[in-house]
Amino acid sequence: MIQKIKINKIIGFLGLLALTLSFNSCEQFELPEAGSMADLTPPTASFAASLNGDYLTYKFDNLSASATDYVWDYGDGHTSTDKNGANIYAGEGTYTVTLTASDKLGVSSTYSETIEVVKPPVPVVLLPEILEAGFEDYTLENGTGDGRDSWRTSLGEIMQITSSPVYEGVQAAKFPSDGTRIAYQELEVSANADYVLTYYYTMKTSPAGLITVSVLGGALTDLANAASQTIASYVGTDQTDDSTYVQVDLPFNSGNNTKVAIYVRNESVECRLDAFSIRVAD
Amino acid sequence: MKQIQIITLLVLGMLISSCGEDYLDPAPVSSIGSNGFYTSESEIEAAVLNIYDGLQLAVQREFALVEMRSDNSKTRSSEGDWAQFETLNVKSTNTTVADYWALYYNVIFRANTVLEHLDAAGNSIDQFEGEAKFARALSYFNLVRLYGDVPLIDKVIGPTDTDYFDRDATVDVYALIVNDLKTAVANLDNTYKGRASKAAAQALLAKVYLTLKNYGDAQDLLEDVIAGSSALPSFSSVFYTELNSEIIFAIEYTNDAADDSQDFSIEFTQDGRVRGLNYATPELITAFNTFGGAIRTTTSIIYDDVSTKPVTPDPLQDYKCGKFVYNSTANNLNGNDWIVLRMADVLLMHVEAILAGSDVTSSSSAIASFKKVRDRAGITSPITSITKQELLDERRVELAFENQRWFDLIRFGVAESVLGTFATDNGIVFSASDLLLPIPQREIGVSFGKLTQNPGY
Repeated sequence: MIQKIKINKIIGFLGLLALTLSFNSCEQFELPEAGSMADLTPPTASFAASLNGDYLTYKFDNLSASATDYVWDYGDGHTSTDKNGANIYAGEGTYTVTLTASDKLGVSSTYSETIEVVKPPVPVVLLPEILEAGFEDYTLENGTGDGRDSWRTSLGEIMQITSSPVYEGVQAAKFPSDGTRIAYQELEVSANADYVLTYYYTMKTSPAGLITVSVLGGALTDLANAASQTIASYVGTDQTDDSTYVQVDLPFNSGNNTKVAIYVRNESVECRLDAFSIRVAD
Repeated sequence: MKQIQIITLLVLGMLISSCGEDYLDPAPVSSIGSNGFYTSESEIEAAVLNIYDGLQLAVQREFALVEMRSDNSKTRSSEGDWAQFETLNVKSTNTTVADYWALYYNVIFRANTVLEHLDAAGNSIDQFEGEAKFARALSYFNLVRLYGDVPLIDKVIGPTDTDYFDRDATVDVYALIVNDLKTAVANLDNTYKGRASKAAAQALLAKVYLTLKNYGDAQDLLEDVIAGSSALPSFSSVFYTELNSEIIFAIEYTNDAADDSQDFSIEFTQDGRVRGLNYATPELITAFNTFGGAIRTTTSIIYDDVSTKPVTPDPLQDYKCGKFVYNSTANNLNGNDWIVLRMADVLLMHVEAILAGSDVTSSSSAIASFKKVRDRAGITSPITSITKQELLDERRVELAFENQRWFDLIRFGVAESVLGTFATDNGIVFSASDLLLPIPQREIGVSFGKLTQNPGY
């Protein structure tokens, strides 16, 4: 019995000794990093810059991977340690934004992007030029000399020219009473901009009739579509005096069009038209 | 004797087997299976109406995902899973998020079922195709905006069609949405408001285009819808006269009908199961005081206390949603329609299309549309230009509680800054990954490893 205990004790002692030795042997022979794994996913820094408010206010969405700590340098002296960056620049300029992303092993990655802070230009409304606006001959460069070159369309017969009465210059457009003649011209405009089209008209005192000036959205390819394409129109019916021109200011909004067309037609009475002009509304 | 028995048995066997086809496989008269149904125009129409039945279920908890998750509303009690939304701390196990996903995929399934059986639709084939595609587009538009890449399922699938289980790129989802809505615009007329119409498809497609920054096409569609509209009704009758002239598309409910009533109206009050959801945040009340005007403020938010009502709404007190107050006999069988698209939304989208991503516009047609909305609200101060911020504020007070705010913030590109400020002011942690909801964990669990989670969850 006693012997058994002794043997057990001896075995226990030997076991402990072996264990201690084995620990020691580890320290002696094992290399410090053996058995541990290399960091297979070191941090990669990345971000996307975008405007966030006015042109001076930027936000930077952090797209880094495997990182825990971030240092932002916005290039204007401002810094941050937030995950997502944001900065308000003092003024225009070129700035290099740098993100340093690091993990708890001390490994870091750096990513830089250059941003240009520029004040957006105030959108300029395009002011179109109406060609041969007064129907005068030889006013169109490289034209035939006829003051109606710019007003022709294959959709109908061109209006006539009159020399008296005119509003200004020596010629005006004339639309005979049968209403068969038309005038048409396309203009390049800014979309959704407000314009005022100004022109002068007069008509014979009888019979009753009218002259319609329409602004159409887009080019006209079929006279039947004129009504549905009309953005704005004015029907002139002032027959008080056949030689006094009446001014018309026709305001219109170009809508979702970068091209509009002026389209003139008359009904029943001989009419005259002169001196088109266009301006951007205030 | 034995031979006779065998012969008799044989003859008997032949007799039984010859009549077997009809006798052993009769068409069930008390229940309907999908294999024998969808054979006539009226049966396809039943399937079409079933889509709207699906929408009735799906839209009811949408407010939690888009209003309570924005700076517009919150729970009254700030407790439980419902409070995950207002703290921008939604978990992938949230049942409301999971149900929303499942219910909208169910609507898509119902729409795909109709599209699969269109051959039997007779003269109504175009109409039914348009309605099904409108509903499918609406569902995908909601899903893709809330969850990001989602599985694109354009036919009826079964549990083993695992090829359809993985996520498709948003650009592909939007391609289907645009195609579906183009078909709907071409096929539908303006007969209904409680079912899909041409105007509804146009307005929805315009919203899709605005989301995709295709402003020109959006403007054309919106001008079409505006041209066909009549004068705006008073602000309160928009919500309390069902299918009024302002409504373009609404999901209809009726009072006290177990199959056709909703219960979001009661959940918007203290009598709801969680003692009040979708209550106005202090920020929303302040917005009403600043931009709303008296007409919209008194209709939209209701003081939720028995004590004397403050003269000016007090941001620190409880105000509940005033737009869907129920008058049903049964508390939880409410009949207020859910408005999906209405004219004020269209008019303000028109301004957005003309603004075209810039900061300010002074276009007279934009101002005309903007003024119609403000005039009705009793705000008549003259305007000469509209900034992006003014448009966003106007949409907030005009369309509060109508599930627009979250999507507006994203579409205007200001979600991160607005929600970031909101989070800081309220001690909430917000990160850019909160802009997408988590893919429901239970969907990931049954997807055979095909569905992946959104970042940050």
